[in-house]
Parts: sequence; C-alpha cells; structure tokens
Amino acid sequence: MTTITIVLLLLYLAAGVSYGFFFAQRSQMVGRLATLSLTAAALIHTFAVGMRTVEVGQLPFVGTSAVISAFVWLLAVAYLYTEVTTDERAMGVFIVPLLVVLQAISALSDGAIEPTPILNSHWFALHVVSLLFAYAAFALACVVGITYVLLFRELKSKQLGFFAARLPSLHVIDAMNGRAVGVGWLFLTVGLAVGTVWLFQLQPDTADPHVRAMSFFDPKISVVLLSWLVYSFEIYARSVIGWSGKRAAWLSALGFSIVLLNLVPIGYFLTDSHNF
Amino acid sequence: MDLLLLGVSHHTSPVSLRERVDFSKRGIAEALHELEGYPSATEAVVLTTCNRAEVYVACADKDATQTDLSRFMSEFHGVPAAELNPHLYSHSGAEVARHLCRVTSGLDSLVVGEPQIFGQVKEAYATASLERATGILLNKLFPWSFTVAKRVRTETNLGEGAVSVSYAAITLAKKIFGDLKNLSVLVIGAGEMAELTATHLQSHQVERIAVTSRTLDRATRLAQKVGGTAIDWTSLEEELLQTDVVVTATGSSSPIITAGMIGHVMQARRNRPLFVIDVGLPRDVDSAAGDLEQVFLYNIDDLEAIVSENLARRQEQTSRAEAMISDAVRDFLAWLHSRGALPTLVALRRHFEAVRQSELKRLEPKLSRLPQEAQDRVDEVTRLLIQKLLHTPTEQLKTIADQVSATHYAEAITQVFRLDDDNDASSSESKTSAAHTEDKTPVTS
Repeated sequence: MTTITIVLLLLYLAAGVSYGFFFAQRSQMVGRLATLSLTAAALIHTFAVGMRTVEVGQLPFVGTSAVISAFVWLLAVAYLYTEVTTDERAMGVFIVPLLVVLQAISALSDGAIEPTPILNSHWFALHVVSLLFAYAAFALACVVGITYVLLFRELKSKQLGFFAARLPSLHVIDAMNGRAVGVGWLFLTVGLAVGTVWLFQLQPDTADPHVRAMSFFDPKISVVLLSWLVYSFEIYARSVIGWSGKRAAWLSALGFSIVLLNLVPIGYFLTDSHNF
Repeated sequence: MDLLLLGVSHHTSPVSLRERVDFSKRGIAEALHELEGYPSATEAVVLTTCNRAEVYVACADKDATQTDLSRFMSEFHGVPAAELNPHLYSHSGAEVARHLCRVTSGLDSLVVGEPQIFGQVKEAYATASLERATGILLNKLFPWSFTVAKRVRTETNLGEGAVSVSYAAITLAKKIFGDLKNLSVLVIGAGEMAELTATHLQSHQVERIAVTSRTLDRATRLAQKVGGTAIDWTSLEEELLQTDVVVTATGSSSPIITAGMIGHVMQARRNRPLFVIDVGLPRDVDSAAGDLEQVFLYNIDDLEAIVSENLARRQEQTSRAEAMISDAVRDFLAWLHSRGALPTLVALRRHFEAVRQSELKRLEPKLSRLPQEAQDRVDEVTRLLIQKLLHTPTEQLKTIADQVSATHYAEAITQVFRLDDDNDASSSESKTSAAHTEDKTPVTS
C-alpha cells in the first residue's frame, strides 16, 4: 500500500465515523467535521487519480482494484454534490461506510498494473466512466431506498423516533430514488452501448484472450445485463404501474446488490473477459 | 440598582384571574406609560401572554418598588389587591435573570419547550425599548436572556416533537409528503375536531380543502370558514381518489370508510400515499385500512401517544437546560455585582481626585513659579498616577462574583478611605482636603 492509499483510507474512515456520530447526536460541529473529512478525502482522491493518469498516460481504471477505487471516488464526489445542494447530511451515514469498505477492498488488493495498449482508446474511457457514474448513482439510489424503508416502517408502526427525527420526508426520499435510478440507467445504457460498439470494432482483428472471451455468457456481461433489466423494470413499474415508494426502494436495493456482485466477486474471480 | 420582577402565571393563578390581568387588553405601551407614575421603578419591561403577565423592573429600593408594583398591577387592571396579591410572585437580583431565561427558553411554559414564548418576550422587550422604558440593566438582561435561550434550544432537544394532537398530525403529514402546499385535503364531518384540524391545515396553505358532511349545510358552513369547498356526501369515494390527506371526525357509530373502500381507491390511485387522520370517536375508519401499503392511518389514540412520548422526551431535557441556565446566570451575576460595586468605585475615584486637587491647590504658590509646560506636566503625572493606583482595585472589585463578598469589599473600602464622609461633605472641598493632606500623597514638583 502506498502512503496516499493509507491516508485516503484513514480519511474515509474518519468521515464515516463522524457521519455516524453526527447521525446519532445531530451536533452541527461533528456534521461539519464529517463533511470536511470527506471533502479532504475526495480532493486527495482526485489528486491521486490525476497523478496516476499522468503517470500511466490513460485513465487509471484498469484492473478491479483501480475500478473499485475510481467508483469510490465518483460516489464520494456525487454524494458531496447532493449534500451541498440539498443541505442534507443525514444520508452520509449510509453512504460513507460503503465507501470505507470498498476503498479498503481496493487498497488491500492494491497492485500496479501495466497499461495495456488495447485500452488506450476514447471508447474505453467513455465506457468505463459511464458505467462507474451509473454505479455511483445506483449506490445512492440503494442507500436512499434503504432510508425510505426505515422511515416508512416507523411511520407505519406509529413509533416515530430515531429516523423520523433525522430523515427528510418519504416524498423527498422517493423522488431522490427515482432521479438517481433514472440518471444511473441512462449512464448504464450509454456505457453498455459504447462497450458493444467498441467490442465490435476490436473483436475481428485481435488475439487478446480477454477480448475474445467477451460474450453474453461471460458472467460479468450477463450479470450487468441482468442489472440493466432490473433497473429498466423499476423505471417502467414506477411510471406505468405506480410502483413507487417501498417497492421502488426494494428494487433499487436488488439492482445495486447485483452491481456489487459484479464489481467485487465476479470482477475478481469469475470473469475471463474484463481482466486486463 | 437591582432587578425586580412581579407577575402571575399559570403556575400561580387560575385562567379566570389571568384573563383579568392581561396587559394586551389596554396595550403594553399604555402600561409602560402608567408605570412612569411609579418612580421607584427606573426601567421596565411588561410581558403578557395567555399564560402570564409579568413586569420586569430595575430599581434602587426593592421593598418600596415591590409594593408599588403590586399596587400598579391591581390599579391598572382594576382587580382588588386582596384578590390579586395571593397569586402574585416576585423575584429579585439573579433570580430575575434565572426566571427570565426559563421563560424565554420555554422551560416555564405550560407546554414545556413551546417556541412561541421566545418571540413574545422579544416583542415585549422591543416595545419597552421603543417606549424608552429600558436602561442599562434591562438592556443587558433581555438580549442576554435571548442568547441563553437560543443556546438552550439548540443544544438540548427541548423544542422537538409535536406536543398537541393537531400539530402531531401536521408533523406526520410533513414527514410523508414533505411540502404541504401541494396537498389536497378532505375533511369528513363538520364538528369541532374537524374544524380544528382543518384550520391547522389551512394555516399551512394546503392547495385545496374539500369538506363533506351528511348534512350539506354544515359542510358548507365549515368550508366557508376554512376557505374550502363543500362537496356532496355521495361523492365521498370519488373525492378519496384525488385527495392526499383525509381528516375524519364524524359522530357516526359505525365506520364510514371501510378497508375495502380504501383498497379499491388505492388501486385507482396507483398507490399514491394516503394519510388518514381519524379523530372521530368512535372511529370512522376501519382499522384494517391501515394495513394497506401506502395508507398511513392514525387515530386519536395514536396521535395522543406521539404527543405524550414527545412531552416525556422534553421533560428529560429540562435538567440539562436548567444546568445551562445556572451557568449563564452565574456570569450574569458577576456582571450585576460589578455594577453593584460601581458607586463605591465612583466614590473612590472622586476621593482620589479630591486629594489630588487639594494637593495641587496647596502647592499652587510654588507651582505657579514654574513654566506653564512644567505645570501641565505635573497635572498630567498626578492624574496618571491616580489612574494607575486605582486600576487594580477597580478590576478586582468588578470580578467579585458573590454578593456577600462584594458588599464586604465595598464596605471595607468605604471605611478605609472614609468615603461616607466624602459623600456627606462632598460640597465642602476644604474638609476633604484637610483630612487627606496627612496622607502625604506623593506629588512630583
């Protein structure tokens, strides 16, 4: 692990702990500390990504470890954007621990990967960045979905307490979920389309075994298509059948667990393609 | 100068008496003007709410002012003293500061932690300032109490959670729908409870209020009062399709809304959330309706349970709030006592100055032979010397926090320097001069 990786992990950890304390005690000072640590982490992370890009000559999104770290970075930035624009810190306690876990996974498997010429393409950059944006949006959707269910349960059981005092209204949370899923689906679709076009360009004249292994039956590809189907259904169900609120929340949780499955175990162990 | 407070509140008097001593009837400004006729009170703020009527004053003689204030309360409101006096309470000194903080932060309110009182105290102080009835003491006391109350409210959860049934209903609606401005409300029944809840919702500017009752006349009357529209009883189910919040408070002996009816409506609404507030007794809505996914059904017991839980939670916070107030009062007391030492300090300063002047006068024949520049220098040096000599005792006296020590110190200084004699004979400069020429106050020449 490099020094910068350790510092990053510690900063994310400090932010996670602070968001936890803020949620429990609602002390504004702790809240500001939480935002400050996360902002510092995101800035250093941006710096690290920038340095690596200069060093390697292409976006450092090659290899599962780097991809997870990039995902953490985008999610942190996306979350900070939401926090600053809505002035709502309550969601941090659900997002930042996820960042800590993913960043730890990424840091523990930290290994320098040589740049591959095949990936030195604009298609690759667009493909990866779109998908990572999509995943960050889905993570946000999943988290707001969980908070929806927590608040919903309190309101239904008539035991207003911890979450009712801290979370925004069901309507607001549901709208956030809908928006996050919409944005995520759009990026996922773009990412998949770009990936397909790129693959068709590469496959006829490449001998790279990873590229040749790409097909609908490769676990990484079939699982991502499954998540696309889940999110497509969520959008359809919300607008046509009226599946908002709790059902939409569960669907986004299901969708994101598929995304996580794809990102971590399948990315590490099962896929033949996508491991450059 | 001391602080004094005299008043009645829900703690000491029944509502029948509080109604009669309500200052707002004749106006606070008029009360302040009438208080000018009682010169024992040099500054005044009059606070009046539905639960209290209090007069805060600064005065020199506590006992005389207290008698004056109770006479004022009785005469201003036309309530015989014999009837009023047993219900009056009074505080002086630091206890006035503590009481005001408790009042301003809502600790002394009927509903502990209620927020309106803060605005009411602010208004009372603003009126008194405008009428030029406040001075050094009250101008320090009131703004200070606002700072303390703000701290108490932000650092404890004293003001959190709804503590009335209709406010609890509004809070729930906000937790479900967020902004109430786009909501459509259906009120079923035209009784008192229905009216109360509808009025609360109307004050939050909901988009539309529809009122229905078995008798259209009553529905129309209530609709007019709350700025809504009356609808026919037979179109109840149709109305349920488009409404977001339902308030039912009929006197019906059997449920008027069944679970089946709501289930049917929810399908047609495509599961849009429906908040049903059933304040009818017996209940108007079949409790099974609450099991439907997007239906939030709260009856009067549920709302009352929320209220009592919130009240209990507020009560838990009171000891923390009291401790914060005690700390703040200690600081205020220190300031107040430093004000108490002020006459002694002024007398001491005057005494030193008198000594200086007499010495300068005694040496005048010699000094007059010096050039003007040297004479000015002598004047300046003696003045600075006195300032330096008095600096430490002044600071020390100002920092004494407890009243007894402050009095002892002031008395000791008065005796040691015979300041009383100075006061008695302040007009007779020669006597002072003679008495202190033996002090051999160093004078540079």
